[in-house]
Amino acid sequence: MDRDSLANPDWVDDRLAALGLDSNWQPNTSDAWLRLQALRHQRSSSRSRWALLAVAVTAALLSLMTFHSPRVFAHYCLDCSVAFWQSLSTAGPAQPPVNPETDRRLAPDFALQDSSGKTIRVSDFRGQVVLLNFWATWCGGCETEIPSLIHFADKYKNDGFSIVGVAMDDDGWKAVMPYLKAKKINYSVVIGNETLEKLYGVTAMPVSVLIDRNGRIADEHCGVIKKAQYEPLISAVLQEKP
Amino acid sequence: MSASDEALAEVKAAQTEFDLGAVFRSQYARIARIIGRVVRDSARAEELAVEVFLKLSRSPRAQRENTEAWLYRVAVRTGLDELRRSARRSRYEHLVSFVRGTPTPEEILAANQEQERVRRVLCLISPRQAELLLLRSQGLTYDEVAAALKRNPASIGTLLSRAQDSFRKEYIKLYGPR
Repeated sequence: MDRDSLANPDWVDDRLAALGLDSNWQPNTSDAWLRLQALRHQRSSSRSRWALLAVAVTAALLSLMTFHSPRVFAHYCLDCSVAFWQSLSTAGPAQPPVNPETDRRLAPDFALQDSSGKTIRVSDFRGQVVLLNFWATWCGGCETEIPSLIHFADKYKNDGFSIVGVAMDDDGWKAVMPYLKAKKINYSVVIGNETLEKLYGVTAMPVSVLIDRNGRIADEHCGVIKKAQYEPLISAVLQEKP
Repeated sequence: MSASDEALAEVKAAQTEFDLGAVFRSQYARIARIIGRVVRDSARAEELAVEVFLKLSRSPRAQRENTEAWLYRVAVRTGLDELRRSARRSRYEHLVSFVRGTPTPEEILAANQEQERVRRVLCLISPRQAELLLLRSQGLTYDEVAAALKRNPASIGTLLSRAQDSFRKEYIKLYGPR
């Protein structure tokens, strides 16, 4: 091929003309349209999934920011899950009977001030039945059982029965005092500490410890108290003779 | 009405007016052919053409502007991208060819075909120049090529001439003045 033919602009066009198509090939528009619709649907679903994930992550981050520590948040989630699963079963598991009197250990004593400044000692309640309730303002399950506790305190107040709430909030009275007023709690509440937590073996909340008239532990219950199931235990311990 | 409200109303109006189905029915076959000339496989060309329309459905800007020109530009680019990808694959396969043994007669024949030469040269010149040559060889006028590539129509002649020079040089470098 000489130089003149190379300089001819048609030379490039001739080369490009080699990019011919198979004359039998007919693009299938209807199949392609269906494929396009499927792809559009598939990608929008994938976008929705990502959006959902983003919302979940944002919600988790916001929750962590709202609750002052991941540990507290984890407790809250655990309590909510327990409360949820318990609420699903209307009957729930049957409450086991109280410990036999011979197997009961002495309730560890403590001296802590309640919201009015009065010193509360477990030993001061000797001759009475005491329900020691470990709770916290951030605990969802604890909040659920407060109406039952108010009911018990009111119903058995003349039968030698008392409730002592032990709040485990890190912020102490600053967090607890407004809560007591808001929930109209009618029993004594003290602020707990780590030592007390260890003495009673509290690892989750709420925990309720039923102490008999001799100051011995008749029952320990971890989780939300159900009024109908727990009331027979209180009655049973109240009927025991000192 | 604020400027942002007006812009929003404009987008909504454009989106409601745009009929993807109608554009697809009228343009799909042509877009598939444009891509089919560049890539080797017609089935792959059809897949890529669907991808082009998927991009169009996700681009309100393309729907508002000159949709046809946008489709041509994206089709050519998509075809060239695919061609470069397969060229890279071929190079890799060539490097490991000792594992496979000697090339098949079909491979030797394909490598010698004019189509393959042209495709190889299109991969070597600048993408802009390759797009220009392919659009022009597709039968588009200077104005249509200018619209597709968002260039001044007056400069298309010069750009085309440079693209042809580049193509010619690369072709001769590889295959000699045939």
